[in-house]
Amino acid sequence: MTVMQRIDLKEVLGRAVSGPYGDLVTRRTGQAVRSEIEEMLDDCDTEVAVIDFGTVRCLDLSCADEIVGKLLLQYGSARYFLLVGVDDGHRDALQPVLERHQLAVVAEDRSGTPRVLGSIPDRARDAFDVLTTSGYGRTAADEIAQRLAVPPEAATAALQELCARRLVREGANGFQPLRCA
Amino acid sequence: MTRVVEIPAHFDDHSFDQFAKAFGDPSGTRLLFDAHAAQWASPFGLLGLLSAGQAVAEQGLEKPLLTLPRDRDVAHYWARTGFVDHAEAFFELHGKAPRVHARGDSDVLLEVTAVRGADDVHDVVGRIQDRSAAILTGELGLDPQATMGFGMALSEACQNIVEHAGTGGWVAVQTYTWRKRLGRRVVVIAVTDAGMGFRRSLESTQAKRFGDRWGDAAALEAALIQGVSRFRDSGRGQGIAGIRRYLNRWSGKFSIRSGTARAAMVPSWDDDVPLADQLPQFPGSQLLMIIPAHTE
Repeated sequence: MTVMQRIDLKEVLGRAVSGPYGDLVTRRTGQAVRSEIEEMLDDCDTEVAVIDFGTVRCLDLSCADEIVGKLLLQYGSARYFLLVGVDDGHRDALQPVLERHQLAVVAEDRSGTPRVLGSIPDRARDAFDVLTTSGYGRTAADEIAQRLAVPPEAATAALQELCARRLVREGANGFQPLRCA
Repeated sequence: MTRVVEIPAHFDDHSFDQFAKAFGDPSGTRLLFDAHAAQWASPFGLLGLLSAGQAVAEQGLEKPLLTLPRDRDVAHYWARTGFVDHAEAFFELHGKAPRVHARGDSDVLLEVTAVRGADDVHDVVGRIQDRSAAILTGELGLDPQATMGFGMALSEACQNIVEHAGTGGWVAVQTYTWRKRLGRRVVVIAVTDAGMGFRRSLESTQAKRFGDRWGDAAALEAALIQGVSRFRDSGRGQGIAGIRRYLNRWSGKFSIRSGTARAAMVPSWDDDVPLADQLPQFPGSQLLMIIPAHTE
């Protein structure tokens, strides 16, 4: 069973800064929140960190860069990150930050629908979409190839890209997108 | 000896260069800012006037005089925006200064507010969220998504002061109907400071790249078009680009004036030029964002 560490950004914000702030804005606030999250990650050796945006009203680019951009740069090769409760406003701040750093992350909206944010090749994005519409079971590369109407090796390359970027996990029976438990 | 700096009767971004020219070099003589004939001032004009006063104070020059508008309604409006409260720190006020509360006016979304640090940015974003949602979707007829980016754009504009000006600045947000210019209702955000300006802020990292072209216009081009920052951190420099994207999506206007230049992202409803150079020198940076009402 996958162990997930849930990080509520509003709670972290409350601990990280002294003022009664309700929004994730300014680079200084982003740095303080990231520093709190880093401590949480260092204290808990879980495979997946779930960052909950559900209670965040406003997110600006500076904060998105400090929190998500820098966390992924620092920890993204060793852990899976999943963003949940992400609305259109959050996405508008996250997408350019991720593109700027050539990063990608799975973000679930408030209804739980996952989407890859950031910069990945179109075919990898298409493969991710197929995986998420396959009922979240493990899906084999052949099935992806069939659904995308591409050669098996192209589907395999797309899936490997998704695995390398830690957006999808590979198991004994196929590939599974990262999702909130 | 006193030198008179006349405040344009209609004081906004269009008449700002006229004001900047009259302001000129503030050293040498005491300045008298004469607004007695002023009929109307936008947030951009009022903040520009505060920035002029701030620049004089920061140069250690004698506190300038400011004659308030003679028209009672105009003076009242200046007071309601919060301008008069802040002006007292930088000007010796002459004329009748109405005593009114700055808050609560329906057109003033955010009264003139000082921005000195990250706490002020939080305060500004926190205070304006609910009202901006009502104005943007209710009065301007924009999609609710416009509200989401509004706080982001406002925050990034204010952070420009905190991160780059080297001094404090001001923000004000207002909504009104532009009958002649556009025939629509608009939200106008002005963010100004009397700090170092874009050229000096970016000089250490960008001047060499531009060579002989380096100046206020090149600095604005680097910031607005290329998204560069004075910080070497690759994540920096995204704020201006974010504001640009937001305003572009909602057919808005975004302009930055700094030093002797002004760069603008010009929507189809406006006749500004993308880049104006060799304007009258004015200290710091002046950001203007205009979001118009939706039309079918």
